[in-house]
Amino acid sequence: MSVVREPDTTTTALPPPRSETGAVGWMRANLFSSWYNTALTVVVGAVAALVAWYGLSWLLIDADFSVIATLGGLLLIGQYNTEVGCPGQNCFWRPQFILLMVSTLLGMAWVVAGGGLTKRIAITVPVVVALFAFLPYGLDRMGWDVRLLLLANLPALLLGWALGRYTLLGTWRTVAILSVGGFLLALVLLRGIPGVPGLQPVSVLHWGGLMLNLLLAVAGIVVSFPIGIALALGRRSNLPVVKLLCVVFIEVFRGVPLITLLFMSQVLVPLAFPENFPLNSLLRAAIIITLFSAAYMAENIRGGLQALHPGQAEAARALGLPGWQTTMLISLPQAIRNVIPAIVGQFIALFKDTSLVYIIGMLDIVELSRKFATTYVENGMLPYLDNVRELFIFLALVFWIFTYGMSYISGRIERHMGVGER
Amino acid sequence: MSTNGHTVIDEEIIVCRDVHKWFGNFHALRGITTSVKKGEVVVIIGPSGSGKSTFIRTLNRLEQHQRGDIIVDGIELTNDVRNIDAIRRDVGMVFQSFNLFPHLTVMNNITLAPIKVRHLPSKEAEGIAMDLLERVGIPEQAEKYPAQLSGGQQQRVAIARALAMQPNIMLFDEPTSALDPEMIKEVLEVMRELAASQMTILAVTHELGFAREVADRIVMFDEGVIVEDQPPDEFFNNPRHERVKHFLSQIL
Repeated sequence: MSVVREPDTTTTALPPPRSETGAVGWMRANLFSSWYNTALTVVVGAVAALVAWYGLSWLLIDADFSVIATLGGLLLIGQYNTEVGCPGQNCFWRPQFILLMVSTLLGMAWVVAGGGLTKRIAITVPVVVALFAFLPYGLDRMGWDVRLLLLANLPALLLGWALGRYTLLGTWRTVAILSVGGFLLALVLLRGIPGVPGLQPVSVLHWGGLMLNLLLAVAGIVVSFPIGIALALGRRSNLPVVKLLCVVFIEVFRGVPLITLLFMSQVLVPLAFPENFPLNSLLRAAIIITLFSAAYMAENIRGGLQALHPGQAEAARALGLPGWQTTMLISLPQAIRNVIPAIVGQFIALFKDTSLVYIIGMLDIVELSRKFATTYVENGMLPYLDNVRELFIFLALVFWIFTYGMSYISGRIERHMGVGER
Repeated sequence: MSTNGHTVIDEEIIVCRDVHKWFGNFHALRGITTSVKKGEVVVIIGPSGSGKSTFIRTLNRLEQHQRGDIIVDGIELTNDVRNIDAIRRDVGMVFQSFNLFPHLTVMNNITLAPIKVRHLPSKEAEGIAMDLLERVGIPEQAEKYPAQLSGGQQQRVAIARALAMQPNIMLFDEPTSALDPEMIKEVLEVMRELAASQMTILAVTHELGFAREVADRIVMFDEGVIVEDQPPDEFFNNPRHERVKHFLSQIL
């Protein structure tokens, strides 16, 4: 038997039941709801307190982070601007000039995107870079030239903004073209041009530090994404040869550890070339990292394509759209949107994997730190051995800032595209 | 003039001769021979698995037939991709599950094919789209995304999207089966209006009221063959086959 109500005698809408509210209620429900829950809370709380006590007392009393300041530029660009990499000259302005190009491009992207996330990134990056101009080093270690070039990122941002706003350069197409051109220019600038004053060549073996990680990551991300898309489409192709090639490529690169691939690129690839052929080991590393990432990317995107309702492609074909337009306009945008978290996860993995180039003797920020902490001998002493903890905590923080940045951007893009809603 | 007041031109726009289709070992269409005249409204009914959806999907090559001939609007359906694309431009299709593109607005759903396939300027395509949205009664939804619309509204957008290519033939594959009862009406209303505008229509549907009122012919499929093909009055009042009587008794 039901209680039947007339529609017009509507009952008052009631607030939800006030069960366990407030901090005490929350604790009672979540921490002390039963005897074993209470025991667990006490044990975990005690361990956490111990860790916090020793951690904090080390951090506040014993820790000496001066090692980071001492290493400074080495962590950023490795031996690039040392007597080894760039003898008799100052080469520090080159990576700094590249930062100025990045700030200018960000200014243009800000105008083109018209605000939102792009604007936030466009402002944050140059401002943070410019803040480094105020590091409390003596002028003998960090001269006016270095500081001014850092501060110049702010006018560079405004320049880019003005170019986007008041010239014909303010379109995505020009920003994209200038970005690619800028990246190639950056490589030429870092490499140097023989015979040109101020641009003396610096061997790629001396490119290092965070700069090396970032170069490999940016190149890897930008190039592996389209290759991954092509491989994913190829693996679903009706053409047996294309499909087989893609499957073999993907399975080989996913099936072999990255370290092994990097190592093989150094010891096997030279066999295919004449003796003394000038092979670029950085380029080989970049290619290997890119292809490795592309193989994973392909499977992520294939997963996204697989998850699409077949009716989507059918509807597009029924409208007379040819197959490639159906893929480019209907299937791929939806597939990629649905697997953004996996794609960004792959980008983050790629960024962290760049530190594996130590296997081929390149000094990225991690390997550099390890070497300095353990092998740099001064007066028969290992001067930084006592500060290994500080150094690696700093490294963890650096990696975390970049990877969290990527996570944040991906989260914003997901929300913007309404993933899981539309 | 046909029984339901459509101007039917005595010119066959769809011709099928002995069409067969297999899914693996399953013989889905077992020799379909039929034709449809310009302006005719044909309703196709039949139990599930009888091949009725498969049949209309062969007409724009969403399914490939393996034997027999299909000629649509003077073009024979072969493996020639140009023929297939030409027929698809000429034949609009509406699906049971709408299949709107969820990443595009209603407006972009409708203008996509006219711009990309017919190469219309986007202003012109948008004009056509607005006219069609007026026609299906939801011009105010143009800038929304499909997921923000009700099922009935989505299906009306899907009809507008198909009409934007200015097809000569419209195929409906159970257009109301996924809808709540109160939304079925608004979709049938649009289809009724379309039928009155001399469009050639093939519709797979279980809406017998609609069939009785709008169809020139009702075709019944069972086990991959056509078992009945009659004007509505004959079909309902004087079915020739036991199977039709049985089917009608089950769903009426």
